Amino acid sequence: MPRYGIAIDTTKCIGCHSCRLACQNQNGLDFTETFNWIKDKERGKYPSFDKEYIPLQCNHCENAPCQRVCPTAATYTTPEGVVLVNKKTCVGCKYCMEACPYKMRIILHHQGIVVKCRFCIELVREGGTPACVTTCPTQVRIFGDLDDPNSEISRFIAESGAEPLRTDLGTLPKIYYKRS
Amino acid sequence: MKEFGITRRKFLAGAAVGSASLVASSYMSFDTWAATDTASEDVSVTPTLCDACGNWCAINVYTKGGRIWKATGNPIAGLNKGRICVKGHAMLHDVYNKDRIKSPLKRVGANKFEPISWEQAYREIGAKLKDVIAKDGPNSLFLVQYPEGNEALTKRFMNALGSPNVFSHASTCFLPRNIGWWLTTGSAKPEQDLENARHVLFIGRNPAAGLQLRMLVDMAKAKDKGAKYVVVDPRFSEMAAMGHQWIQIKPGTDLALLLALAQVMIKENLYQKDFIDKYASGFDEWASKISDYTPKWASEITTIPEKVITKLAHDMAEVAPASVIHRGYHGAMGTQYKNSLQLVRAVGCINGLLGNYNQKGGMFNAPKVKLGKLGPEKYPQVPELDMPMVDGSGDPDRYPLTPVGLGISQAIPELALAGKLKAGFVYHNNPLRTCPNPARMIEGYRKLDLLVSFDYVLSETASLAHYVLPESYYLERDDVVHTNHCYTSKQVAIRQAVIKPLYDTKPMVQILVELAPHCGIGQYFNFSLDEYNRASLAPLNITLERLRKEGVIDLGGDWKPGEPAFTTPSGKLEILSSTLQDLNLPALPLWEEPLVSPNPKDPYEFRLIHGKQAHLTHTRSINQKYLKEITKLNDIARVWIHPDRAKALGIKDGECMTITSSVGKGRARARVTEGIHRDCVFLPSGYGVFAKHLERAFGFGTSYNDYLPTYFDPVLGHVMANEIIVRVEKTMS
Repeated sequence: MPRYGIAIDTTKCIGCHSCRLACQNQNGLDFTETFNWIKDKERGKYPSFDKEYIPLQCNHCENAPCQRVCPTAATYTTPEGVVLVNKKTCVGCKYCMEACPYKMRIILHHQGIVVKCRFCIELVREGGTPACVTTCPTQVRIFGDLDDPNSEISRFIAESGAEPLRTDLGTLPKIYYKRS
Repeated sequence: MKEFGITRRKFLAGAAVGSASLVASSYMSFDTWAATDTASEDVSVTPTLCDACGNWCAINVYTKGGRIWKATGNPIAGLNKGRICVKGHAMLHDVYNKDRIKSPLKRVGANKFEPISWEQAYREIGAKLKDVIAKDGPNSLFLVQYPEGNEALTKRFMNALGSPNVFSHASTCFLPRNIGWWLTTGSAKPEQDLENARHVLFIGRNPAAGLQLRMLVDMAKAKDKGAKYVVVDPRFSEMAAMGHQWIQIKPGTDLALLLALAQVMIKENLYQKDFIDKYASGFDEWASKISDYTPKWASEITTIPEKVITKLAHDMAEVAPASVIHRGYHGAMGTQYKNSLQLVRAVGCINGLLGNYNQKGGMFNAPKVKLGKLGPEKYPQVPELDMPMVDGSGDPDRYPLTPVGLGISQAIPELALAGKLKAGFVYHNNPLRTCPNPARMIEGYRKLDLLVSFDYVLSETASLAHYVLPESYYLERDDVVHTNHCYTSKQVAIRQAVIKPLYDTKPMVQILVELAPHCGIGQYFNFSLDEYNRASLAPLNITLERLRKEGVIDLGGDWKPGEPAFTTPSGKLEILSSTLQDLNLPALPLWEEPLVSPNPKDPYEFRLIHGKQAHLTHTRSINQKYLKEITKLNDIARVWIHPDRAKALGIKDGECMTITSSVGKGRARARVTEGIHRDCVFLPSGYGVFAKHLERAFGFGTSYNDYLPTYFDPVLGHVMANEIIVRVEKTMS
């Protein structure tokens, strides 16, 4: 069974937000609802001025705090390591939103449920990649099996030294970032 | 709890589902995603072409239960290579935008319209048009459009009426870029092999926001292989974020940098001498004339340190010929400065010094597909009009280099006020918002006896029209066969309807065919769109049915590096332009000052520059709710200003500034950033919509056109959009 993750190369991100829209359409989200954010960070003064666009989404943590606090076990992890929310059992208590140190969950007020990035599991199970990965004009994201040492993502992480955000939190995220 | 046969958990879940069903219309699609067992739902896929900008990327559009759902990119399409940009995804939703025009409209008062039938619209437009022709002649008619697939037919329509006056947005966008390349190489829009280039220099070009997806796909791949990207721009653009080096330049001085690069390459013998000897003309004259354009000289003009200029020249030359200067678009090389034309010429010449024409990693001409034409036996040909446009485009004594069919669109109100233009059509264009000085535009367009707009919505221009004929949304219509996907190989593509029109709208080609008989030119429009498309495809041995099924068909004929071919009068790369020489215009690219410059001693004075953002196209996308949300969430409609300049004016990040020019005054919040040259403020474009029927866009942000006086560049007539001096002050409340 694969263990899915995404490697993100921020040095190629241009902050175009195509990932956000591809995701919103795939998941039928309204315009204020999103599973993807892009944070931009400016550093330094010219000539060493730099700006980095950092795409953010659910980290699908191995040790997911959101899953631990869910009172109805609506948040669960699939055999492929994808953290999902069962909308039939979610009661919208928002414990998970509080517990997520990355603040990557949103509530759909009309439905009273909490949702987040799903790695487009239905596309992935058909052999595709998540919508954010497929649409990216600069191929910022690599999706694949973290357990296969020969997969593109594993080789990329090994070569670039990409790391998850805030490894100190011990959540074992599955989104890796190459940032320089 | 058990006694009611329901646990609290089940009760809550049930309540959630109940509330969802109350708002089923807006959340229907959401309901389907979470469960993966809904694959059986009625999903169908149609290949077509996007219309979120002028690129027309090839997309496969999915419907679910008959409603537009999502799209994926066609992987073989040369222009987008399987990708879709943010606008391409978002504009799918706008087929359901409530601002859409639902039937033909007739204006019955100031910004007041009433619905009428197509028949009535055609009859009244035809009668009025005939009156105007009888009184003022066909040269008083014009059409202004964003020239895309249907342009051959709009031109046919106007020429059949006897008018050569077909305008485009060229004079507000790319005119000097095209003419500069055409004068220098013979090709108005050469490509660059970004997949194989090892060093790419961008002069004010920002393909990461003025998107062309194939460029980004190629550059991302090449970057992984070690290609280096250097971005010259007054501000830290999105391309700079992807690049390796940002060279901050004083706006309007790019030409000085380019001349110094050439000077270093020539003086230090770093240029491709064999290439120049064999393929270029005018090199010796140019070399002797630019010998004083040293990095020291350019440094004073551009504010770029001398050693940065020298090193750049060395870096570029080192990997030649796989070293290229991007051919440019709107920024710097477009219609921005008085010296833009010579800047483009200098770029063309330095690509020659790098010897990169028709080489791997250099400039090349994309293979072209020649489409068939309607046979003259059955379909009468429109007599060729061999005359200049009313604005002087194509006139040897006025704007000889500005092509008939592109024209100078900001001249239309001037010509209307002078009584030379009386009736006009506006197609897929919004000149009242995309041309400078809207007060002047409105004054001129109001003067017309007849204005007909073909549009989806009541844009600024449509709001002034006497009649508005609604074109079907791009997801609801068929268009002509298109060849825009030719990049490294020959391709044909087609736009076709994904769903039936939601309202009483029609495809543009059908509107022209039906309107023509009322205007007395029915004999030239005796065909259907399918007949036209079959004639287009006939020489290619492809059936329309096959093209409809596949969306894009690759015909091979791949570009291969080899001998360059220049289609200039001399057959050479014309460093000395024989055409410019014949016209007694400066024939060598030499230094030329911009038209205006801010006073460096005045703390309030700035040059106002502008540029695109990836999620907005022109003026139409800010009315799209998904796209406007990106602007709001990231607060990116703010005007960029350097921290030192802002401090001197007492302006803090996020505070409101009042911006005043000789023609306009407006407000914008400040984005205080080190990422901009201290000489200028940067205004992201795409805002400042004043069409009151566009509910989401109306009144949001400001446009550079509000501050730009009506200029005509002396050689080409373009708008010189960055030649604006503004006064910036903290807004006192």
